[in-house]
Amino acid sequence: MKDSIPLAPLQKLAWFNLIVFAGAVALYALAVPLLAWHFHRTLADAALPSLGMFGLCGIWGFGSRFLYDRRRRATVKLDEREQFISQRASTIGMAIFWAAFVLSCMGVWAYFSYILHQTTVPIDFLPFLVMLGVIIFTVTQSIALLVQYKRSASDDTL
Amino acid sequence: MTPSESAQLKNRIRRLRFDHGEMTQQELADRVGAARQTIVALEAGKYAPSLLLAFRLARAFGVKTEDVFQWDGE
Repeated sequence: MKDSIPLAPLQKLAWFNLIVFAGAVALYALAVPLLAWHFHRTLADAALPSLGMFGLCGIWGFGSRFLYDRRRRATVKLDEREQFISQRASTIGMAIFWAAFVLSCMGVWAYFSYILHQTTVPIDFLPFLVMLGVIIFTVTQSIALLVQYKRSASDDTL
Repeated sequence: MTPSESAQLKNRIRRLRFDHGEMTQQELADRVGAARQTIVALEAGKYAPSLLLAFRLARAFGVKTEDVFQWDGE
């Protein structure tokens, strides 16, 4: 006899994060041509200001509600395996984030230094780099969470 | 513990559940303070529990730890 296992709180959190990210990507894809059309600019010109659509990722902050049990009025207690999964997902997320963050920082610096021949990088890039880092960390961590849950729950026979 | 090492740890959790009035995975999970998915992973041999959880599982069935888990490694 088989039945479906309800999603664990961490799985719900991961799906929430990925759905929000997908929504932000979709909004960005809509915003670029819309802004270009509205302000009579090229798509390339509209690409940078449209990044504001990723502000939607700000609602990731509400994801912690998935780790809260209203009946017990307390944060859900993760068992030892879930804690292990969470730690490993965070480690993977951190590793990918750091590599991408360093690469993008060096990329921005190289672009301004070698292509535009400017000695300084505009401060405008800082929030973009930080936002990129947080997005990469959260998305990678969420994927790692889901993959690990999937791998260890292929057999759900009662 | 690597997946191959986890595979060396056999257990009789599924058998013991059925021997104890067809206890469901959720009932066992509630008794030992774990998630049902952890019981699923244990039965599938995809997770090696901590000593504490192993003792809790044995106590839930009223047997010794070695009656639940067997290690066939070197």
